[in-house]
This record gives sequence, C-alpha cells and structure tokens, in this order.
Amino acid sequence: MKVTYRWLKEFVDFKETPQEIANLLTEAGLEVEEIIPLVKPFDGVVVGKVLEVQKHPNADKLSVCKVQTNEETYQVICGAPNVAAGQFVPFAMVGARLPNGMKIKKAKIRGVESFGMICSKEELGLEHHSDGIWAFERELSLGEDVYSILKDEQDWIIDIAITPNRGDCLSVYGIAREVAALTGNPLKEITIDLKEQLPEKTADIIKINIHDADGCPRYAGRVIRNVKIGPSPGWMQKKLEAVGFRPINNIVDITNYVLAELGHPLHAFDLKQIKGQQINVRASKPGDLFVTLDDKERKLPENTVMICDAERPVAIGGIMGGQNSEVSDQTTDILLESAYFKPERIAMASKKLGLSTDASQRFERGADPENVIRAINYAAALMEQLAGAQVAKGIVDVYPQPLQQKKIPLNVEKINKILGTDFDQKTIRQKLESIQLKVEADQVIVPTFRHDLSLVEDLAEEVARLVNYSNLPAKKYTTTFYEMPVSELENRLQYFRNEMLSLGLQEIFTQSMVRRAEAQAFTEDEPLAIKNPVSDDMAVMRPSLFTGMLKAVSHNLNRNNKDLHFFEIGRIFGSFDGINLPDQPYSLGVVITGNRQLPGWNVPEQAVDFYDIKGYLETFLGKLFLDNYQIILYDKAGYMVKGQTIAVKIKEDLIGVCGKFTEEVCHAFEIEKEVFGFELNLDLLQKYLVFDRKYQPVPRFPYSERDVAFLVDKDVLAAEVVEFVQKNGGFLLKSVEIFDVYQGPNIPQGKRSLGLRLRYQSAERTLSDKEVDQYFQQIINKTIKHFSASLRN
Amino acid sequence: MNEIIEKIRSEFFEAIKNVKSAADLEPIRIKFLGRKGLVSTSFDRIAELPKEQRPLFGKALNELKRELENAYQNLQGDFKKQQAKQVQLDLTLPGRKPFAGRKHPLLKVADEIKQIFVSLGFTIEDGPEVETDFYNFEALNIPKTHPARDMQDTLYITEDILLRTHTSPVQIRVMQRQKPPIQMIAPGRVYRRDTPDASHSPFFHQVEGLVVDKGITFADLKGVIQAFAHRMFGPDIKVRFRPSFFPFTEPSAEYDFTCVFCQGQGCRVCKNTGWMEISGAGMVHPNVFKAAGVDPEKYTGYAFGMGIDRIAMIKYAIDDIRIFFENDVRFLNQF
Repeated sequence: MKVTYRWLKEFVDFKETPQEIANLLTEAGLEVEEIIPLVKPFDGVVVGKVLEVQKHPNADKLSVCKVQTNEETYQVICGAPNVAAGQFVPFAMVGARLPNGMKIKKAKIRGVESFGMICSKEELGLEHHSDGIWAFERELSLGEDVYSILKDEQDWIIDIAITPNRGDCLSVYGIAREVAALTGNPLKEITIDLKEQLPEKTADIIKINIHDADGCPRYAGRVIRNVKIGPSPGWMQKKLEAVGFRPINNIVDITNYVLAELGHPLHAFDLKQIKGQQINVRASKPGDLFVTLDDKERKLPENTVMICDAERPVAIGGIMGGQNSEVSDQTTDILLESAYFKPERIAMASKKLGLSTDASQRFERGADPENVIRAINYAAALMEQLAGAQVAKGIVDVYPQPLQQKKIPLNVEKINKILGTDFDQKTIRQKLESIQLKVEADQVIVPTFRHDLSLVEDLAEEVARLVNYSNLPAKKYTTTFYEMPVSELENRLQYFRNEMLSLGLQEIFTQSMVRRAEAQAFTEDEPLAIKNPVSDDMAVMRPSLFTGMLKAVSHNLNRNNKDLHFFEIGRIFGSFDGINLPDQPYSLGVVITGNRQLPGWNVPEQAVDFYDIKGYLETFLGKLFLDNYQIILYDKAGYMVKGQTIAVKIKEDLIGVCGKFTEEVCHAFEIEKEVFGFELNLDLLQKYLVFDRKYQPVPRFPYSERDVAFLVDKDVLAAEVVEFVQKNGGFLLKSVEIFDVYQGPNIPQGKRSLGLRLRYQSAERTLSDKEVDQYFQQIINKTIKHFSASLRN
Repeated sequence: MNEIIEKIRSEFFEAIKNVKSAADLEPIRIKFLGRKGLVSTSFDRIAELPKEQRPLFGKALNELKRELENAYQNLQGDFKKQQAKQVQLDLTLPGRKPFAGRKHPLLKVADEIKQIFVSLGFTIEDGPEVETDFYNFEALNIPKTHPARDMQDTLYITEDILLRTHTSPVQIRVMQRQKPPIQMIAPGRVYRRDTPDASHSPFFHQVEGLVVDKGITFADLKGVIQAFAHRMFGPDIKVRFRPSFFPFTEPSAEYDFTCVFCQGQGCRVCKNTGWMEISGAGMVHPNVFKAAGVDPEKYTGYAFGMGIDRIAMIKYAIDDIRIFFENDVRFLNQF
C-alpha cells in the first residue's frame, strides 16, 4: 500500500519527517518497506534563459541555442521542437549529474560544440515521458539551483506492508487515521461539495433490488449525466501515479482516486447499457458465464455475487465490471455504484476465479459499510468538478439490514493479564479513543471499518501497539519450574545420530521433494504426489532417503570430491490411501563410495566394497546392543544388485536393506562409480531397543583360543558354519570368529577354506589345555561330519 | 695350549674387522661365542690336558671369553646405535587419518537452538510433515476464506491433506494430548510453494515454541526471546518487538535482533535498518485454545517461531540458502 507524505498531510497536521512517520507506523504494526522521494536527487542544473534559437547547420531537427545563466552565456544544441527564445529552462551545465546517473559533458554534435543540455521533465525524473523541454511557467532568477527549487515541493512515497487484518489501512485516509493517533493530532474530514444540479431524481431513473443480501448487504447508486470524458487534471494524475494507479481518463481516475483516498471501491456503468432501468443483485448459478471488462470470458463459481440489469449480468460484484456496460469514450451518462460486499463471499469468488483486483482485495479484507455514501458522494462531486457532469438528485441506497457495530466488554484486568502490565482504565481508554473506538463505561464500540476487532485480546493488541511494544515489560526470569515429560523421540533420534557420527560418517541433509522417476526407483508403490508441485523436480515426496543421498553423491563426484561416507536421518513417505495421513517414518540412510580410508603416502587407494557397508551396518546395530536381529539374503530391492543385497529383520519386521546400488540406479543419478548403501526404518527399529541394560561381570579368568581351518563346499555359507559351531561347541565356547577365507591354489576345486577362531572361557576358573583341546576336537569332528568338510592340512 | 687361544683370538679379531652390520656379526658370535662355538668347545678340551695345566688353561680361556665378549658387545652396541639412527621417523610426514565426518551445519545450529531452550526448561516435540488442513489451518484460526491463507502458498496432496507450511500444527497436537503446563519447542521441516532462489527454498526449517499455563503474559514471551537472543548471538544483542498479524496469536508480534554484521549501525545486509527480522510471535489466540481443547478463560500462553535456516545463515554469514542442501563436502567440512 502506497501513500505519499503530502497526501497524509492533507488530513493531519503533523511535524514529523517522512522517516519519523515511517518509524511510527512500523512500530505500530504498519511496516514501512520503503520511502521513495518523488524528486530524485540531481545536481548542476540551474535556471537558464534561452536568448536565441537558430537552426543547426547540419541537422534539420536540431537547434543551436544560446542559454544565459547568471554568469555566462553558453552555446547548446537542443533537439526539442518546443524550445524558443525567451523561455526560462532547467539548464544542465557541463559536469551536471541527472537523476538517472547521466553526467553532462562537453560535446560536438554534427560539427557544432554544445556546452550543456536543456532538460525535459523526463530527464529530471519528474514524469515518465515528456514531449519536449520543460519551460518554467514563471520567471525565475537565473543561475538558481533547480533541485533546490523542486525540493521545496518534494514529496515521498511511503510504501507500507499491510497485514491481512488491516483492511481499514488500505487507503490514504486509513493511514492518516493511524498517523493522527500516533502523532497526537486530530484527523480532518474529507470535504465533499456536491451540487446535484439535475432536476430529475435518481430514484426515478434507476431501481435497485438486492436478492442476495448475504453477499451484498448494501448497494447504493447515483446517476451522473453529460459527462465529458477526457484526461483528469495533472494534480490528480500525479497523485494517482505516486500511489500506483495508471491515469486513464477522468471518470476512471476519479473512481480510483476515491479508492486510493478512502479505500472504498466504486464502479461506473455506462447508463445507456443498463437495460430496464434497474439493478438486480443476485447470486450466480452453476455454469454461468460472463465477459469481464478485460475481455476475458469467465466461468462463474456458484454463489458469486452478480450485479445484473433487467436482462443480464453487468458486473461481478466487488471484483470486476463487465465488458457489456463499460464506460467508453462515447459515454455521457453514468450509473455510479457504491456497495458493501461480504468479505468471505468476495474472497471465495476471487480465489475460485483466480482474479484479484484492487476492489476485491479491499472487499475481502473488509470495506466500511458506512463509507458507501461518503464514497459515492465524493466521486459524484469530483465528476461535477472535473468532468463537467451534472448529478441527479438524491441517492438510491438499499441497505435492508444495517450492520451493527460490535461491542467488546472493556476488561482492563484481562488486558493487563495478557500484556503483563498494570495500565489504568484511563490510559487504556485514551489509547482506544485515539483510533476512533468509542469507549463507554464498561464496553468498547468498534467502528464498522475495524473488522478485525471483536475480542478483548484484540483490544489488548491495540493498546500494546499504541503504547509501543518496546515499552512493554519483559520478564528476565521465571520462577516456575515445570516437571516436563521426556522428549522421547528427540532423544532416540539424537542417539542414532550420535552413533553414526561416532563411526566417522558425514551427516548430510537432503531435500524431501523429488522427481517421480527418482522416487519410483525405490518403491513399487505409487509415490505420494503433490497436487501443485513447484516443478517436476519436486513432484512427489521421497519414499527413501536414497533419492536425495545419491543426488548428493552425484553432486560431489561431479566436483571431484571422491571419497564419500554419508549418513542422513529424516522422514520418508509411504503411499497414500486417499483419506488418512500417510505413514511418514523416520529413516536412517548411509551411502559410501570411493576409498575405504583417506589415501595417503602410507595408505594405498582401496575402494569400498560390500563388506564396508555391511561393516557399518553391523557396527551400528552392535552399538545399539541390538542382538536379536537377523541378517537375511535379500533379492526384492530392485535398486540393488542381486547377490549383493542383504536385509535386516527383527521378528517379522523388515527393518532395512543393505547392498550395492545397481548400475541403472547409479546411471539415473549420473554416477559412474560403485556406490553402496543401507537404509533402516527407525520407527520400526526403535520398537526393539532395550535401554535398561544390567551390568554383566567382566570375566576374571583368562580365555584360551584355538584356530581351525575347514575345507567346505564353496556353496556352504560362512554364517551356517559359524552358527553350527556356536550352537554345538559346548557351554565354554564364548565366541566364534572367521579369521580367514581362502579359495585358490592348494585348495581342491569347488571347495573353500574357512578359518575359524574359537574362544573358550569359564567364569569360575582357568581352563586347562587338556579340557579345551577335548571340546575343540569334539566340535571339529561334528562340523566335519555335518558339512562333509575336511581339515585344511 | 696358548697357541689354540692365540689362534682363536686372532681369527676372531680378523673376522670382526670386516663386519659392517649387526647381521654380519651374528654368525661370528655363533662361531666363536655360541653354545657350540669355538670358545665353548675349547673348554671341553680341558680334559685332554695334564692335571696341573688345567687351571691355567681354564683361566686363560675365561679371559679369552671375556675379551671376545667385550669386543663383540662393543661392536654390537655401535651397530645398534647406528641402526637406531637409520630408523628415525620423519615426524613431519602426515599420519593415517580415519574418516571424521561432522554434523551438517544446519542441524548443528538446530542443536544449539534446542540446547538453549532445553536449558530453559522446554521439551522437544515433533509432528508430521504431511498434515491435515485442520492442524495446519483450521485449528490455527485460519478458515478457508481467510486472506491469511494467501500469506503462505501451500503445497497440497489433496484438498484436505497438505505439506505443513509451518511447525505450528505441532502446537495443536501437543495441546490435544497434554494438559497445561506446556513448555515446548518443535523443530522441523516445513514447505511453501516458493520458487528456489538465494533466499527462498520450497522447504525450510522452523522451530516452534509454545508455553501455556495460568498467568503467562506477553512479558514472559519478551523475556524468553531476549534470553534466546543473548545466548545465541551474545549479550549485546538487542531485541525489538513490532506489532504484526498472525491469525493464531493476539496480540501478534514480529521480532528483530540487532544486526550482527554491523552491530546495529546499519549495513547492506540489514538494509541500513540496524535490525535483522527473525520471525513472529504472540499470545495464543483464544480460538486456537478452543480448537485444541484448552480453556481460554483459565489459561493464557505464548507462541513463537523462528527459522533455523535463517539463523544458520546469519551465524555463518551464508548468503544462499540452497547451499545447505547441495551437501558439497567442501562446504560441509567448514563447520
């Protein structure tokens, strides 16, 4: 919302500078975004007098002029057709700097020297387009600085961000009301001097019927005849341009002027196009079509407030007029509409139409029903004054059920309780009255322009902002300590995260909206799709962290960052049944590529392989003391290489998948390196965490180890052998580790050697060699028998 | 017998003359001083001698043994010293480095924020990112036609299910399941339909705050935000509250911190205002209490929000939000 400093001064006598006004407004909740001077600074331009004008010897359209300042006379080339001897002009001397940054230099134009420039208003930043130089209307003293002269008439545009609750501030007058309260000055009334010169009565020319009083509680009309369409006066154009309206013609400009100043939208119909001398306000029916004055045919949402004549709609109420009744250059007679529409109805229609206008923005934030008459009279008076029109007598004002002013109990105690203050009733009363609220003994009457005030909390905010938030107390400490529940989820997520960090992995944080194709690589279900995505790149919600993580891998590999060991914790999104919120569990992902260890002078390059990712997985699960998990061979993850994929299972829950990404997946992310990863569903995983662990005595007696190497069929899985040995090794067998795996020379075809290290230990005594050997031999024999194995050498 | 001794001695000293390393010395030790070496075996020959010569020969042999052992040990000591010199480490060579990942900078800042509020007695709560219209809008006093819906352009799954546009829905969820007193923050990811550029991302991160109890006032809110500002950015940071509008708070405020880049003097970053806009706050609107089943006659409360991304950008002087989500290790390694 733009206003100008001088425009505000028309309604309030204040002393504050533009910056001071801006600060007051910002601190009162009307955030000033920018203060723009209308006259932009320039220098070196002085008042000069054109002494003579001669044709340029080498150019038809140029003249050679002599311009006198107080000191000297200069030869200047001028291209403007309106330059004439005797004019007082703004003369930019050599060295002058114009508002657009242009610097004036001595020049030779078509062989003739030029020492400066005679300026147009455009060149001085005073208007968008000029047809010639600016000749001052009066004599000025020669050599006087032009910027100093203009500065006395300087004005500033104050651009304010209006929050949606403050529809009353979408006008110069509305802002002026705040300025009056904030500077402690009275607010002046707008003077309306309406003559009503026509003998005929408005009521005889037009009938107004409201059939939709919900959508349109009030509708008023006036008839204006003998309008002479033409440009509006310069002062009006200048003000309109400053606050962002493009001048069009006197009628449109007048309605816009009233809109800008009072905040009340008006609409002017060409009276000749209104059939049957009547206006009917009704709600639209499904399927209605209408051509608005921007020549677009629009399908009307059901229940849109429509303004109709005897035969057809002529405007969408409160949003936009119709092409069929628009004011044109031929228009002589006007039906002027001033109405009040219900905010919710306008908001709904505007949203569904996808059409937001100056009018709709005001109506949906709440116009003032009391402004209906003021606005229409103001505009009619201006039409008399500026468009040579005559206005018919009287007004047709249909307002079947006048809106009541809201009343709020004045609860001083509650206001203080909210703000933590101890204001007395007098202070509160004085603040509320300064913004034109009526305060009676125990209640506050809210004027109809303040749609946002209805609760005592709202009054508390008004008091607070008028006192200034900075002057409200701040409590340095609180004396209350609460016993609060534990932040369980947060603690667990941090626990997982810290374990990951302790493994040396780098934490990354990737986006959760991804391409459909990227999502589909990681799920067989339909990914959760966004109805109105920002772009195709962000069309669905990630079903797996791998989408973003592989993108991060790709981004780094493309920049030659080669050794990547990443983890991420974040939500992933399940598919959608159309009704309930989808499952959105927390997930943990790890991806690795490049070297196992940072290569160095004594560390050879060694690429990661399956056992690195599995190692991370096992170590992580081990750190959680999760001893009831199972690792199973898995071939249902299409994005991982078959035969290089395992899964983690606890009871019936599949917790996650671990393996090597397929070439196709890598290719889709433009990755040419081998990448391994695992992902675990943390919501599932945390069901199985056991946090209350009990102390186990540390063994006091030494252990004995025995090594053995079995030759088994190469199809026998290591885990099977280990499991068998563990199960059958006797109660003194504490652990079984694989220390060597070998296949190749010296080993029969189709066999491989598995080296096992068995550790025996007792909690009660030191074991004798004899005893250990005995158990060791027994399990060797059993294993050989069970797997048809033999001993290696 | 003396000849034998002399022969051994001269052979020994001849042998060690050309010895260059400890390794070369070992066979010599074995030959002369080993268990089956020349000196030891010479003792065996004592029996061959007449009785009266035996002690003399024994003595001489012992002397020889001592002599040779001394010579050997001296030599060996020299070699050890030499060897020690040879294997001396070049301590300037780099060590073997394990991978040492770090926290993501955004989450590091989130940790700091959380830690500050936890130390002030807040709990940490969480809620879904895919939310219902009820929790994201309706319960927060933003009905369907409210112009405030335009303040946040929303990404929808269906008409009623959407990507939450703020962390405020967690307020409602917590109030529904827990009676006051409530003193919580809820950090998390939120979504808006914004085109990505240096200062906008269609997803970003907020921390929601909510305190509800009897007798909570705007003064408590001001105090807590001030405490946060001082802990996060230092004791000289000032906080400014300005009136604003949010449908879910009344009174509503926006709060600013002293610009950390110019200490409030005014600079390019703060557009010469001396202030950095942080976020919004206010007293919980009675309609929000009603929607969440809290009695507004009995309780008051305040709520606030803040952008984690924004605070991280201020803290680390980052001027493009998108860099957080590229995860370039050359960026991540800086924090």
